[in-house]
Amino acid sequence: MSRLRRDLRMERATHRIEGTPRPRFDLAAMLAATPAAAGRLRRDPRGEERLALVPGTLRRRLDRTQRVAASAVAAPAAAVAEMAPKLVVIAEPAYLVAVVPDAPGGRLTPHDRQVIGAARLLADAGGGAVLALGEMPGEDLAAAGVDRVLGLPVAGYDPEARAALLHAVLDGLDIRHALLPESADGADLARRLAALTGETLFAGAESLTAKAVTRAAQGRRIEQRRAPPRLITLAADASAPHGGAPHEAIPVVFALPALMPGAILSAEFVPADPARVGLDEADFVVSAGNGVRDFTAFRALVEALNATPGASRMVCDAGLMPRAAQVGASGTVLDARCYFALGIAGAPQHLQGVARCEHVVAVNTDLHAAMIERAGLAIVADAQKVMPALIEALTGALAVEAQP
Amino acid sequence: MRIAILLSAGRHAVSGRPAPVSVELQAIRLARELIRQMAGEVDGNAAGDITGFHAGPDAGPLKDALGHGLPRLIQLSIGAQDDPLPSLAAALGAERFDLVLAGRSGQGGEDAGLLPYALARTLGLPIVADACALAAGPQHGTVSLEQALPRGARRRLTLRLPALVTVHPAAPAPLPFAFAAMRRGMLETREGVPAPRAAGEVEERAYRARPKLIAKSAAGASATERLKAATEAASSGGRLIVDPAPEDAARAILAHLRQIGVLRD
Repeated sequence: MSRLRRDLRMERATHRIEGTPRPRFDLAAMLAATPAAAGRLRRDPRGEERLALVPGTLRRRLDRTQRVAASAVAAPAAAVAEMAPKLVVIAEPAYLVAVVPDAPGGRLTPHDRQVIGAARLLADAGGGAVLALGEMPGEDLAAAGVDRVLGLPVAGYDPEARAALLHAVLDGLDIRHALLPESADGADLARRLAALTGETLFAGAESLTAKAVTRAAQGRRIEQRRAPPRLITLAADASAPHGGAPHEAIPVVFALPALMPGAILSAEFVPADPARVGLDEADFVVSAGNGVRDFTAFRALVEALNATPGASRMVCDAGLMPRAAQVGASGTVLDARCYFALGIAGAPQHLQGVARCEHVVAVNTDLHAAMIERAGLAIVADAQKVMPALIEALTGALAVEAQP
Repeated sequence: MRIAILLSAGRHAVSGRPAPVSVELQAIRLARELIRQMAGEVDGNAAGDITGFHAGPDAGPLKDALGHGLPRLIQLSIGAQDDPLPSLAAALGAERFDLVLAGRSGQGGEDAGLLPYALARTLGLPIVADACALAAGPQHGTVSLEQALPRGARRRLTLRLPALVTVHPAAPAPLPFAFAAMRRGMLETREGVPAPRAAGEVEERAYRARPKLIAKSAAGASATERLKAATEAASSGGRLIVDPAPEDAARAILAHLRQIGVLRD
């Protein structure tokens, strides 16, 4: 186990310069001759720091996580990003894979994107194209991986009419598979379609490849597996969204049949009451952190904003808000559209809970807080002072509206 | 008002023992309250009747449904592997029901939730999914119902009867179980229509839970990078305001919230 003992006197003696009265040694040659590879490489801390320096930031920032090799790779990655993404064109598809996204308000949900990703998988296996059925903007669909688009013009809420139109499209075009999300509306539509066509429906598929789909049955005790049938609904988080280059998403011409009036006489959308809705279902969450001390004002603000209250772990631990309101890894992971953080610095565990939120607004005194970096609108100010100003602005605006 | 409720042989979610399906017990409550509201009386059975239908080899745990407020249950006797659709279609077609209530999907069988749709198609009834509240409609022969949507939203529909409606778990909790009500309730057994299912091309094996997709970073990435991928979402090109007056901050926040469509006036 022991290393060979170096005789330093003898090493020096070999580098002695002969012919001088006083003993002289060539130390530079001695240094070069020392067996450096035998031991560990000498570290160059300054060099490492240079490599870890994050470019393009005002403040000097070091990213020590990605050591030397990672930053050496970083340069070609930037070159790839500069290249324009190439459009994938499938001019002569062998068959079509239809997708019916929910797209509430004309925007694709993450679940819709996953279903389109799964359709992409089925289409790419045999040179097919993905056809999206519904009214959505083209560029959104193109990025999600859709080749063809066909609108289903149904006024209001009439799932019967939608199913009838879908039935006509499935009959008229060469559609090998039709995929729907296993969401409230998608599941309803798929089952109507299955009842109309009399085909088998593979409901709630939990994994999907070109060769096989699986689903749970008998109270999740057995797994059913078969080759992908024509009608499939896909459970959430079962398939990855399309991550490649955008597809063309060009409209398709198809003569849709005329519709008969259904049994639904009227339909009216009733938005959720934010005070009663659970945190995991909430659309807009206003959250208090350690920077909030006046919780009466906080509750008044939440009510004025018509939002659902949330809190950080610090606040819940202190007993200032109920545990059910805790946002983050050990509390609730939100699915909200907007998250408004008051006095929250943004611990990684808290940011995990906010990861799926589309918009984040943050008020915090610390300019360098992680939440400020994450936010779409970040305000460096005391939340305690901003809250009353917000309440006043809201109630003032309401009073102005009430006058005329 | 005649209401039929479809009951299925369910399994308890935790113990796996035979049990009635909770959503169908909630349907019983919705039906009772609808009839009570229509009659304007205290007695639930004055202005109409409620009949439960079950197609299967044995009523078994569904006797509990009688204790939860169902006055009458008709069991259509078929084999364990038979398709319940022809039996139910024959039984419901023979009597005229204004409203047929069903759960969302069975537990312990195919669990696809297709039966109410196939039944509605066979009987020629319109179907509406996920009702969580029922009330008398504005006109005679209509019912107004609330449909549960994701994120706690609701859709209020007016529906022409007769119709088939499936019930959502967000409906009010089932009526409490009463032993005397179970003893009082009538259980009738009739012969069903035997309809053996054709063998499908489905292969069955023991269930294996699959990991859900999470935000992925590059393969072999460090823990920090994986955490970053889990916490960082697409940031919308952040705007930063440093030390504004509270009024300016409030104005900026409200303008931003209005712009992204969260705050409605």
